[in-house]
Amino acid sequence: METACPTPMETVPVPMISDDFVDRVSKDDLYFTMSLDPHTGLCPLFCKSNFSFLEGASHPAELCETAAALGYEALALTDRDGVYGIVEAWVEAKNQGVRLIAGSEVTIDDGTSIVLLAATREGWSSLCRLITAGRLRSPKGESRVSWPEVAAHAAGLIALWGGERSLLAGEVEPFFVAHELREAFGDRLYAMLTRHRQADEPRREARLKRRAERFGLPTLAATEVLYHKPARRPLQDVLTCIRHRTTLARAGRRIRPNAEHALKPPHLLAMLFEDEPSALARTREVAARCTFTLDELRYRYPAERLPDGSTPAGWLRELTLIGARGRYDGTPPADVTAQLERELALIDELDYGGYFLTMHEIVRFCRERGILCQGRGSAANSTVCYCLGITAVDPVRLGLLFERFLSRERAEPPDIDLDIEHERREEVIQHVYAKYGRSHAAMVANFIRYRARSAVRDVGKVLGLPETALDRLSKLLSHYGGMEEETFLQAGFDPEHPTHAHLLRLAGEILDFPRHLSIHPGGFLLGHEPVAEVVPIENGSMPERTVIQWDKDCLEELGLFKVDLLGLGALHQLHLGFDLLAAHHGVKLDMASIPAEDPATYEQISRGDTVGVFQIESRAQMAMLPRLRPRTYYDLVIEVSIVRPGPITGGMVHPYLRRRAGEEPVLYPHPSLEPVLAKTLGVPLFQEQVIRLAVVAADYTPGEADQLRRDMAAWRRSGRIERHRERLVARMEAKGIARASSPNASSSRSAASASTAFPKATPQASR
Amino acid sequence: MPRMACVDLPAFALQLLQRRRPDWREFPVAVVDSDRPQGLVLQVNQRARARRILPGMRYGAALALARDLRAAAVPQDEVDRAVAALVRRLGYFTPHVEPASNEPGVFWLDASGLEMLHDSLGQWAGLIRTELKREHYAPSIAVGFGRFGTYAIARARHGVTVLQRPQDECRATRNAPLDRLGIEPATRDALARLGVSTVGALVDLPVEEIAKRFGPELQRLHRQATGALDLPVQPTQPETPAMERLWFDHPESDVPRLIVAIERSLGPVLRMLGERRQAATELLVGFRFESTGDHLETVRPAEPTLDPVLLLDLVRLRLEALRKLPDRVVELILIGRGVAATTEQMRLFQERPRRDLAAASRALARVRAGLGDAAVVRAELREGHLPEGSFTWEPLERIGEAKPRENAEGTLVRRLYTRPRPLPPRPRLEPDGWLPRGIADGPVVRVTGPFVVSGGWWQREVHREYLFAETQRGELLWIFYDRMRRRWFQQGSVE
Repeated sequence: METACPTPMETVPVPMISDDFVDRVSKDDLYFTMSLDPHTGLCPLFCKSNFSFLEGASHPAELCETAAALGYEALALTDRDGVYGIVEAWVEAKNQGVRLIAGSEVTIDDGTSIVLLAATREGWSSLCRLITAGRLRSPKGESRVSWPEVAAHAAGLIALWGGERSLLAGEVEPFFVAHELREAFGDRLYAMLTRHRQADEPRREARLKRRAERFGLPTLAATEVLYHKPARRPLQDVLTCIRHRTTLARAGRRIRPNAEHALKPPHLLAMLFEDEPSALARTREVAARCTFTLDELRYRYPAERLPDGSTPAGWLRELTLIGARGRYDGTPPADVTAQLERELALIDELDYGGYFLTMHEIVRFCRERGILCQGRGSAANSTVCYCLGITAVDPVRLGLLFERFLSRERAEPPDIDLDIEHERREEVIQHVYAKYGRSHAAMVANFIRYRARSAVRDVGKVLGLPETALDRLSKLLSHYGGMEEETFLQAGFDPEHPTHAHLLRLAGEILDFPRHLSIHPGGFLLGHEPVAEVVPIENGSMPERTVIQWDKDCLEELGLFKVDLLGLGALHQLHLGFDLLAAHHGVKLDMASIPAEDPATYEQISRGDTVGVFQIESRAQMAMLPRLRPRTYYDLVIEVSIVRPGPITGGMVHPYLRRRAGEEPVLYPHPSLEPVLAKTLGVPLFQEQVIRLAVVAADYTPGEADQLRRDMAAWRRSGRIERHRERLVARMEAKGIARASSPNASSSRSAASASTAFPKATPQASR
Repeated sequence: MPRMACVDLPAFALQLLQRRRPDWREFPVAVVDSDRPQGLVLQVNQRARARRILPGMRYGAALALARDLRAAAVPQDEVDRAVAALVRRLGYFTPHVEPASNEPGVFWLDASGLEMLHDSLGQWAGLIRTELKREHYAPSIAVGFGRFGTYAIARARHGVTVLQRPQDECRATRNAPLDRLGIEPATRDALARLGVSTVGALVDLPVEEIAKRFGPELQRLHRQATGALDLPVQPTQPETPAMERLWFDHPESDVPRLIVAIERSLGPVLRMLGERRQAATELLVGFRFESTGDHLETVRPAEPTLDPVLLLDLVRLRLEALRKLPDRVVELILIGRGVAATTEQMRLFQERPRRDLAAASRALARVRAGLGDAAVVRAELREGHLPEGSFTWEPLERIGEAKPRENAEGTLVRRLYTRPRPLPPRPRLEPDGWLPRGIADGPVVRVTGPFVVSGGWWQREVHREYLFAETQRGELLWIFYDRMRRRWFQQGSVE
């Protein structure tokens, strides 16, 4: 067998290569703990996370955490044609004290790529606009830009030209492209040497160096990081196979030849490029030039068209007061007026007036078009929203906490969810696009992530296991659960069998990895400036939809506003019902005039005769209704809240029912908790109660209480709720609240399980 | 009177699956048309049926009914292989066996005269049943007089049924339920609504009306049931090979004399092929030795041919390469295999290019004949990272046009050993330098690398670190450290 040898000879000191060396660099424990002092300032500038869908094999947070552990001061995240993971990385980088450099590996229409880093805020805008241009012209999941476009968006960007897919190291000399890029980028264009101990790299590198010298480009050292530690290599192979829809046995050269794509410790990076000290040093130089961080993103909500001479705050006040007079028969009560003043002052102080005006405008549009809509969620805690007609629940009458919706301490943008009858939601969405323009409005993304079932199916297929067996296993797994060995056994898998063991391990590792981008059910990002200056926009799978590359969690982290326009079938049914009542009985009803306390209706509900009734139609709800026998609207609020995983697993249902029936005395674990739990007979049922419990019984600060609320909201994904348990228990015991003095007095358990309880406003707002 | 038997292996694919996976016997089992959740359930066992899993469902739906359902597809080639094996097996009991062409698992056997060899046909059928049960099949057998009668009875009854008189068969056939005969469910239900549920009720209907109302399929069944299409057993006829055998009264050990004997037999073999309008693609020469057993040699011409000189030339090359026979030959068998000869083959050599590829192919055929089939191979590139996995050797039947790539850059050539050669371990102290191949080649003066190739973790993990090491004598070694085996190897060398 004769083949061409692609390896030009180079001189490397012989003693470097020894058995000892080979063993030493392989030990994972050593890998992460060696002294790093001589190599401070080096920076990995070409890292892809799992948001380079089905390519990177580590979460952005894992990359940042490892970078910090290895002693890197900065890290660049350069996902393929996107910045999907940049916010997650930014949050973790701040926690870890690592400086995050934002960038992306942009795919060119000739099939090659270039890495672009945002040096300044202007550079970030350039990058977002460039990716937007590539994404919007390409089919979903792809992006292509031209070299002239790259050159046209060079402002504020640093370009690293190199790597496996680079034109600079390709077969054909890129004479014209090189000159065009050099003109555009000037001294911000670098030739990137990448080394992964592959036999064909020296030839490509020699070519790249030759061309870099000819075109006057400084060289820079990097490795293409695809995972944070070598142990993730198998997962990267699996992801590659999923992307290419093949199996490991058939993947061949589509999977990487070795495990050299991990985030290397600085001393190993230095060792890899010890013959190129200047290229290595330029990583410091480039890192220092990239001063942009996501903190610089200043977001301005679109200014509404206001009457002459009005400010957003003034116009909002006027509309609110007009609405209040309508709601309260011309004269709002004193407590309502006081509450309105308090809310309007806070809205003005935080400069959120525009957001409320937008929501009001959307609601007004719906009313004009006869489209039923209803605000829900924490917005129901706002009297301003009630007066503007966004919500239908009087928060003053029901004693709801405004702070749960908006608070100065939290400094978070308000979040108003608007339910719209689903048959006509598209009209409202297109109205928003038309009013703000496609450049200033885009829908929020939703990352479809691997869950147990999809993980087992995809990983199993890659391992070559029969699909029927995988289907059997996946059906035994719960939607949001993990990988239990017992379930594997039950499905006929043997955890001792090597392939089955791989499945068990890799399916566990891939959990929560983003698989592809989807669209949030109704979230919009609106901007005063074009949205593409802040975040790239791409096509959604639905026609006429454009979507940003961040999901609602990213927006929340960055403090950006989101408008939620959600489809609700029940509203459409109500609309049909109103039409029928008018047609057949001449009765004209609307959302506001439905009688709230109709005994006949409650009697029917108490019988469990609720098929098709929104919120109380499930089998579990129908089974609970005859036991709880709701007689008032507030009973319905409790009914909806009690049939939830939190109260059920927390053992709160039966105590509540017994106390309601007078079979058990109403007891409180501590006298200080009585005001919090009085309305629910001493049993915590609502998230608000859990938060207030934490404040009253465990001395939670506002910040801690808010963190508890967030962690409860994200209980499925993060498991972060667990960290509150010890804190709650310890502080409660310190205050003399017994751990288990009564079934519901174990407040830590209550808090943990109430993580899956409803916010109090949700069922009320569903009215 | 001619006797006939029908052997029925109901739900044949399911039986094959259960033979393949005996550990599934305690579970509900289904045969699906493809190995995916959307696969259609074709056959189910009793446990699955008890869980209301029925043929026609999607696998995903069936799994919803029984979480412990086991399912797999049974490929057609597996069915074909099993049918062929069963034909051979049943051939031990009767010379004439006919497998049903459109219903795998159904076989008709000619039972005429076999009662003379056995105590009764019942005992004969019992032997067949025992044999098939030993092979883990569940057969039902009917011995009777007609094709359809035995088929319907075997389908309707379990175990062995022997019918002594044609009238008995007729009566039993009439009582056979229609739903056992594999007719379309819609047709079966339509007939049931008319009160037609047995073969007897069906044959009482007028055939013209059946064709009009239910279509040609049921009309065909009606005609079969009335005996209009009855045929005797049509046994599988194995294709007779173009073969000549030669027995030596005096065992032969002289190669030239054997070649002369082969020449004598080659003519008739080629004539047989010619009569079938075929040209030889392969000539099999079988030797039966006096004490060392049998041996088969195969020679293949470059093109299908009926030219005895060309074939004999190849045989001569092959035998002369043997030099000496291991034993004396007592019998010689010559078998010719061919394909239909085409007129294009005759025109192949009319326009001769500058490079005579046909001549090259002929030369390669001679090399193959002289040195064995594995002597002419070519490297085919494969998608593998390991050097030995990046190509494979494939037999080269025909030589094609050369298409050399232009290579502007100067290249070195790597030579790859068939198997990597182990090198001595590298000592920690090397006062004379690193001597991977001993003192004679001198120490290594320069190395390039390491280049790492690792993977295969899902099967057999590999981790090699490759180096190009130049010795003092100027040799360029291609070596690697195998981390899994903790040893150094030489993969090849560079020139």
